[in-house]
Order: sequence, then C-alpha cells, then structure tokens
Amino acid sequence: MTEHEWLALAAPYALGALDGKERAAFEDHLAGCEQCRVEVESFRKVAGQLALVAPAVEPAPGLRDRVIADVRRVRPLASRIPRPASRLPWLAAAAALVLALGAAYGYWRERSDRLALEQAVLLVRDSLAARDSLLSAVLAPGVGTANLAATGKPPSARLFWNPARRVVVIAVYDLPPAPAGRTYQLWGIATGKAPVSLGVFNPGPSGRLTTAMIVPAELLFQVTAVTEEPAGGSPQPTQTPFLLGEVRRSE
Amino acid sequence: MTRDHALVQRMAAGDERALGELYDRHGRVMYALACAIVGERADADEVVVDVFGQAWRGAARYAPARGSVGSWLATIARTRALDLVRARGRRSRALERAVQLSEGGVANPVAADDAPDRDAERSETRRLVTHALTDLPEPQRRAIELAYFGGLSQSEIAAQLGEPLGTVKTRIRDGMAKLRALLAGEGI
Repeated sequence: MTEHEWLALAAPYALGALDGKERAAFEDHLAGCEQCRVEVESFRKVAGQLALVAPAVEPAPGLRDRVIADVRRVRPLASRIPRPASRLPWLAAAAALVLALGAAYGYWRERSDRLALEQAVLLVRDSLAARDSLLSAVLAPGVGTANLAATGKPPSARLFWNPARRVVVIAVYDLPPAPAGRTYQLWGIATGKAPVSLGVFNPGPSGRLTTAMIVPAELLFQVTAVTEEPAGGSPQPTQTPFLLGEVRRSE
Repeated sequence: MTRDHALVQRMAAGDERALGELYDRHGRVMYALACAIVGERADADEVVVDVFGQAWRGAARYAPARGSVGSWLATIARTRALDLVRARGRRSRALERAVQLSEGGVANPVAADDAPDRDAERSETRRLVTHALTDLPEPQRRAIELAYFGGLSQSEIAAQLGEPLGTVKTRIRDGMAKLRALLAGEGI
C-alpha cells in the first residue's frame, strides 16, 4: 500500500468501520507512522462529537440514583497501576531460556544445521514469551480468581482474570478430552445477564490444560462456568454447566 | 484542567459527589446516544449505568491527551451499547431505520435545537455538530451514521445498502473529511 492509501484508512478506522483484517493491518502500520496517527487522532475528535447528534431523550429520573448505587458496590481502581510484584517469574524464565537454548544448541550442533537451529531458538523463544505472558497475567495484583468445581469431585479448574489486560487464564485438571465433534466452552456471567463466551478449549489425554483467552471489551462478570458444546462453540450455553465458580477479586 | 477532568480526578479518589456531577453534565447525552443505538429504554438505562460504572472504575486511567471526557464517555457508551445489541442478537436502531429507508437519519436538527441543556456551551456545540452532519450530502451522512450508530463496517454498510464497497469507502472518507473541515471552521 502507498502512504496515500494508508492515510485514506484513518477516517473509517476512527469511526470503527474497518473490517477485522484491514483494521489489524492498519494498526500495524500506525505503530510506525506518525502522519497516520495524527490523522486518526483528528478524525477521532470528529467521531467523538457524533454522540451529540443523537436525538434528545429524557432519562428516567431514577437513573442518576441507579448510577450512584451501582458504583457503591465497587471501589475505583487506584492510580497506582500495578506492576508484577516479583521478579522471580522473569528470572525463572531467563534461566529456562538459557537451559533450553543450551539444550537446543547441543542437539543441533552435531547436525550442523544452522537453519534448523535458528528455527528451534525461535520456537523456544516464542513458547517462553507465551509462558512469561501467562505468568505475568496471573501474578499481577488485582487479578480475580475463581475455583470451578463440580461438587468437590474431579474435574476441576482454576481461573485467573486480569481485567487490566482483558485476559483470563484457565487451568483445568482431570478433564478428559471432549468427545469427537464436541468441545468445552468457558463462559463469563454478569449477575442477571446472559452468559458471554470467553472461548473454547479441549485438554489432551493428560486431562490438564492451561490456556489464555481474551475477555471481550467491557465485560465484567461475577460467575464463570464451563459447558460441553458442539465443536466450534455455541453463542449461548446449550447445557447446564458442569463446572461453576464465583470470581473473587484480590485487591 | 477542565471542569470535567477535575471531576474525573476526584472520582479516581473515590468521591461519589464528583460522579453525580459528571452524570449531571453528561448523563443526558449518554442516554440519548444509548437510545439511538439500543432502541429500548430499559437497555439504554443499563448502558448508562455501565458507562458511569466504568468511568468510575477507570477514572485513574483517563488520559486527557487522548480526548475530552465527553468523547471518552461516548466511546464507552457506544461500545457498550453495540455490545448489548449484539449480545441480544438484535440490530441497532440506526440500522433498523436505514433498512426501512424511512426518515432521513439519526441526526435531527429540530430535536437537537429544542433540547434543553443546563450547559449552554455544550448545547451550542451540539447544535453546530448536528448542523454540520445535516449539511453533508445524504449518502455520506447515512454511511457515517450507519458506522457510528449502527456499528457496521464499511463492507457491512455496502451489503446493507446494496452499494459497491468502493462507493461506501469514498462516502465515509469524503464525509468525515468534510465534517472535520466544518467543525474546524466552527472551532470545535
């Protein structure tokens, strides 16, 4: 794409009207293009004003009280944006990286296959980066946790929810792989609302799995549940959950 | 620091009265925006409660450099309202209107002019923005409204209106550029 073509995407981007792929490509481009960033900002201001043209509708008089009552249930997030409390995960990851690189190198040196070695290094680096990211998501302060249990018997699962990064990490134990053509699906449920899918997963024969899922923007949930669904997942649960847990916030 | 920004800072410190004042200043616009997207009043109530709840919880993260408090709240409200519409498996109200090809669009200069507002300056801004939008050629305005209030992407708009994608892209681009120029001319 030419610079001119990129620039033409700024207006629809600010309006939220780019399709997924185009949006992702443009965001990559934005990271390195000051001119496009400036253009996006100027159109964001325009889009921000559009809210004002909505025809006036008088809110119910009780709405103000509801707004205030709602926030009494939660304290505001203080301005100290938490950092990972401990350096240990990073140290452990660094040590693991050294060991893994050493092992990979030892193995591949004999075959003097440089390309394959580089490939292995990249793989190790990726998997460590992924694990590191999981660890820091789970260990950050302010992470909510939930124990999902089926009346105290296996299987069980533990969920970590990092609202700041909009990530949940779920670790499942003693859960056999879903039958052919089926999958497990994780749900976030806000009190009094329909469950929202957080994603699907399927453990291997070991019955254990740790995986991260993206939480939809703005979703806050108090209860989390797992159902078995047709492969690919369902828009809404088709079964009673077999694992259920309540989220506790650690402050 | 603007009045709004000061309120948001007090909210970050847990001051409920600041939240009440922020609601008094922006509640009506957020409610109108929510209604324009979700249609049902009960759903709009829910959106507004969520918007101010999120503003309360995220007050410490508000960054004035990225836009005014009003557009921060509007972004939350629009996202939340569109999420709600999708979660209900419904179409947004803006889209319903476009499909029915009924009235001109969302913006209604008469309603906006008549709307009482305790803040005269904001009321003036609203009048100017509404007129800027209604000054656009109808197809440009409709495409922009479908994107903003309907939450549709350009290709969804093209499919919905049965127009070529390239035409829709041009309308959005030209319409937004014109809107930007009109608003800049008004000092907004």
